[in-house]
Amino acid sequence: MKRWSMLGILAAALCALAFLAPPVLAGETMDKIEKTGKIKVGLREDSIPFAFIDPKVGKQVGFSVDMTQLLVENLSKYFGKKIEIEPVTITTKTRIPMIVNGTTDVEMGSTTYTQEREDVVDFSLTFFFSETSFLVAKDSPIKTKADLNGKRLGGARGTTNLKAIEDQAAAGVYKPKEIVTTEGHAQGFLALKTGKIDAYATDRSLLEGLRMKDDKPDAWRTVDFAIAYEPYGYMMRENDSDFRDFVNNTILWAIKTGKFYELYDKWMGPKGMVPIPMSQAYKDYLQLIVYPMDEGWLKKK
Amino acid sequence: MLSYKFDWGVLWRQPYGEWLLQGLWLTIQIGALAWVIALSLGILFGTLRSVRFLPLRILGSVYVEVFRNIPFLVQLFFWFYAGPMLFGKTLQFKINALSGLNYYVAIVALGLYTASRVGEHVRAGFASIGHGQYEAVLSTGMTPVQMYWHVMIPHALRLIIPPLTTEFLTIFKNSAVAMTIGVAETTFMSYKIDEQTFHGLEATTGAMAIYLVLGMTVVKLMDFIEARFRIPGLMTR
Repeated sequence: MKRWSMLGILAAALCALAFLAPPVLAGETMDKIEKTGKIKVGLREDSIPFAFIDPKVGKQVGFSVDMTQLLVENLSKYFGKKIEIEPVTITTKTRIPMIVNGTTDVEMGSTTYTQEREDVVDFSLTFFFSETSFLVAKDSPIKTKADLNGKRLGGARGTTNLKAIEDQAAAGVYKPKEIVTTEGHAQGFLALKTGKIDAYATDRSLLEGLRMKDDKPDAWRTVDFAIAYEPYGYMMRENDSDFRDFVNNTILWAIKTGKFYELYDKWMGPKGMVPIPMSQAYKDYLQLIVYPMDEGWLKKK
Repeated sequence: MLSYKFDWGVLWRQPYGEWLLQGLWLTIQIGALAWVIALSLGILFGTLRSVRFLPLRILGSVYVEVFRNIPFLVQLFFWFYAGPMLFGKTLQFKINALSGLNYYVAIVALGLYTASRVGEHVRAGFASIGHGQYEAVLSTGMTPVQMYWHVMIPHALRLIIPPLTTEFLTIFKNSAVAMTIGVAETTFMSYKIDEQTFHGLEATTGAMAIYLVLGMTVVKLMDFIEARFRIPGLMTR
């Protein structure tokens, strides 16, 4: 009898817990940044070349990490005081919940814009375009989409890439032997290396990043075809337009002043870590979205 | 500024409700099969740790200390990623090519890990049996092997049913770690629902309810076994 009444209390406590709303932040993100002098940025550890751990430095580096630096420089100018970055390590699994519950103010990595995600968080302007492709062994027979039949395909938990495979397999576009979920890109590559999967899927830029960081980059290749397209944006909490404008303006201003191209060249240029040539459409897109910009946005009103 | 709209429908709406049930089925399979390994190896190594013959005692101690002192997550990764390498270059790729490898690795790894914990309970069971009984049994002319098999192990097992209940419960809870190598058990499924619907609170609550019900069922089952095999006069409740 006693045990059951304890169970009742437990159940009531559980229900109470479940109905508690996640922590609500008082005030808007911009106010909070000005007050605390800090911005909490969610950064990945395995998203090459956007945000990843450099073993030499022991901390996150990458294109999006440099963009984070630009963001705080602009914030410091805007508020007239030093704003500091408080990096928070995130994974594909935690990047959205941590924005929603207020652990991070902004996620700056390589997140694909999707309609479902847009329902929960806000996205910045698209700053990069990638496509879902596969990394395979150099001598792998996988050359076209049809070759995926009967193969074991891997993707990381919570990524658009994994969902694309699952959706297309369910729709019968191809029939893989098995779809394997991994905990992240590093583990996915390990699964590919040890022969647990035949092909690992993520964004082409990230696959190239994984390949280039391997001891033997020539033992692997990314396939020529793509199964989905991925526009990247940075993520922020819903309905906080002042902050989102600021992030957007940081991207636009970087393009306008040419800093964006410098960073692109540093990470993805011909001599960069993962060379990805800019397509003409991408170049045009960047030029067109910055047309109306001028310096005035950095003055606090 | 923030508003989270609860939608408990994700717990039974298709395909999500079915995912959770599929996850539960895998959790039960992994837990139950790993328990078979854990109990048999646990009894074996727990017995080895209490015999007189020193080499066997060392063997038992090495097993128990290695397996109970390394975090289960680390052991699981080791068996899954490095384990196949122990079989040499050619066999390694054959093993890695097996589909459902993660499922088998999870069962074996969880079984081996829990065996070290069960082994300690078994040893405690032997220790709680009075020394007089060992001498009495041996004086009937039984060999040491017969003594353990016919008298000491059945006796010790009955004494340690309460801590074994805890281990049996823990094995189902620890099976959630298998999700890190891609086994689609209950927690994996609740995460997957979260990723596709962003209703993580509901999905997690659903998983919690599943574990709670599963755990209570195990407790009831073990209560029954305990009552059935109680040694009159030795255990009081």
